[in-house]
Amino acid sequence: MNILVLNAGSSSLKYQLYEMTGEKVLAKGHVERIGMDSSILNHEAEGRPEVREVSEILDHTAAVRKVLDMLTHRQFGVLESARDIHAVGHRIVHGGETFKQSVLVDESVKREIRRLFDLAPLHNPAHMMGIAGVEANLPEVPQAVVFDTAFHQTMPPTAYMYAIPTVLYRKHKIRRYGFHGTSHDYVSRRAAEFLGRPLEELKMVTCHIGNGASCAAVMHGRSVDTSMGMTPLEGLMMGTRSGDLDPAIVPFIINKEDLTLNEANSMLNKHSGLLAVSGISSDMREVVQAMQEGHEAAKLAFEMYAYRIRKYIGAYAAAMDGLDAIVFTAGIGENSDLLRKRVCEGLTFFGIRLDEERNALRSKEPRLITTDDSKAAALVVPTNEELLIARDTYRLVTGMQASQH
Amino acid sequence: MFRKIGVVGMGTMGQSIAEMLAAKGLDVYVTEISAERLGQAMDMLEASLDRQIERWAITQAEKKLILNRIHREVSVVNLSECDLVIETIVEDLDSKKAVFEELDRILSPDAVIASNTSTLSITELAGATKRPERVIGMHFVYPAFRVDVVEIVRGLQTSDETYGRTKDFIDTLLAKRSVMVYESPGYVTTRLICLLINEALHVLEEGVASAEDIDSAMRVGYRFQHGPLEMADRFGLDSVLAALERMFREFGELKYRPSILLKKKVRAGQLGVKTGVGFFAYNKDGERLP
Repeated sequence: MNILVLNAGSSSLKYQLYEMTGEKVLAKGHVERIGMDSSILNHEAEGRPEVREVSEILDHTAAVRKVLDMLTHRQFGVLESARDIHAVGHRIVHGGETFKQSVLVDESVKREIRRLFDLAPLHNPAHMMGIAGVEANLPEVPQAVVFDTAFHQTMPPTAYMYAIPTVLYRKHKIRRYGFHGTSHDYVSRRAAEFLGRPLEELKMVTCHIGNGASCAAVMHGRSVDTSMGMTPLEGLMMGTRSGDLDPAIVPFIINKEDLTLNEANSMLNKHSGLLAVSGISSDMREVVQAMQEGHEAAKLAFEMYAYRIRKYIGAYAAAMDGLDAIVFTAGIGENSDLLRKRVCEGLTFFGIRLDEERNALRSKEPRLITTDDSKAAALVVPTNEELLIARDTYRLVTGMQASQH
Repeated sequence: MFRKIGVVGMGTMGQSIAEMLAAKGLDVYVTEISAERLGQAMDMLEASLDRQIERWAITQAEKKLILNRIHREVSVVNLSECDLVIETIVEDLDSKKAVFEELDRILSPDAVIASNTSTLSITELAGATKRPERVIGMHFVYPAFRVDVVEIVRGLQTSDETYGRTKDFIDTLLAKRSVMVYESPGYVTTRLICLLINEALHVLEEGVASAEDIDSAMRVGYRFQHGPLEMADRFGLDSVLAALERMFREFGELKYRPSILLKKKVRAGQLGVKTGVGFFAYNKDGERLP
């Protein structure tokens, strides 16, 4: 079975085509600048030359058509016809409280995703356009939706409620949802496999450290707490996001600097984090390089970044009353041995003993970075959200077909 | 939905509109009376984007993207591909009519011509074209990227379809609140705010309170972002005077008669933020000096 995995943004569309028997990626690519007369499509398939094509793509329906054209292209394509796509899986940022797992798309699911526009105004409308684009081009093909929030729906109220008037929860569903769920889900399972122990026995803290960053307390395979909240701004310090701060600061700055809500939002989301403290870059590699060249602000930014991850790991060890493993994943988590070292060095109390040689090793495979006698393990597990979306879609679609027979 | 937008006239309002449209991800084609004026306008627009970065509203990368979406055109003729053109030149009926005539000639029959005028008649401007049903008013409030209201002005012959397309564009693509108004000098915003400013000037003239205290009273008392006098400085005192005079002529009512103090200030060339001095003093970034 071939499954197309889509991640639709407001003016972009990323795709990967999976062949599910061997869980192999047949082709992948992305469309940028949708809505312009010079949209760009980048496409790569194994054993074929890479393609970059500029054309007019005015909406997501046209973008999906373009992707299908490319997948069935005589020279660059990998499929005979679009009929060889058997299902489509979408990444959806916000599933609210409704979606606790992936589901197949039907009218009520679409209605619900639309109802959640308020909670993810930048993302969910774009995802809906992706779904509509597939419907228009492949009306017979089943579609599944996989939510970033779903994995964290197992959090208890003690973890997801904010200590503010509960009328706000009832009226506007203001509570903590958490994000990167697909990634936390995938790497926690993969880590258990790697350790050769049942997921149901493990207490793990998974650290998805990329452009956005979040930690999750995964106890016995279920998320019991996570650092992002109602929006992806809460929790860890990130590339350009502030992470946790005293909420009183926000109205204070709005007043002092005469900011609009928009400006305040943009300041916290795009002008804070590593970028703000280092004054150099939001990119961890550049910050580390500057730090090694003796840049004081870069050093502070790096130290704050590592310190906050360490604090969350400590907090979650307390939340779960124990810690068997820490898992690092995503861009920075997988690639910055220096950051992992800085985080792990201060966790000896929890039984973490870093093996510097193992930590410095570069690889695309899951690996242990603590010593063999370390009481708790630290691992690096490369994430693969697309694969998990493809798997969920596969499971749902085969389940549907089985029930029809 | 409109995708290619033209802006004719890159004064204070034109710059602000072009900047806002480009920030919303639209391609904007801008033109001025001379290449030199256009260059100056683009410099000021860039300076405004820099101020936005300082206010954390946008990032360096976003600034580049915004500037890339603003295309300088040396002549109105080059806007022929646009599906919406917004005219924002000086508030002078004959000049505006000339622009409308030319736009009518070069644009596709489907395209909509809009004016940002606050006091002139849309119906009359529409009369200069052969497509009066596709002429409409789009009155933005300065600064357009910070203020989220647009008055959509229906001229006598503006069609429901044109109104619908314009409203859709403003509500969805620009994500601003649209207000439908019928043709009348000053509509809602200009009429009410200019009267308030004029009355504040009378209060000042009569020696009831100082400029500072008038503004404080209104700012703190009624949660205005700026008091009426600073607001006038920010709009440009010449623009306020022009609007009041126009409304005075049209309505013939004394309440619109511009205050003597306003006239004096304009004669003295103290036009507010853009000249550095009005009722208060400003630096070149438009910040109030203590």
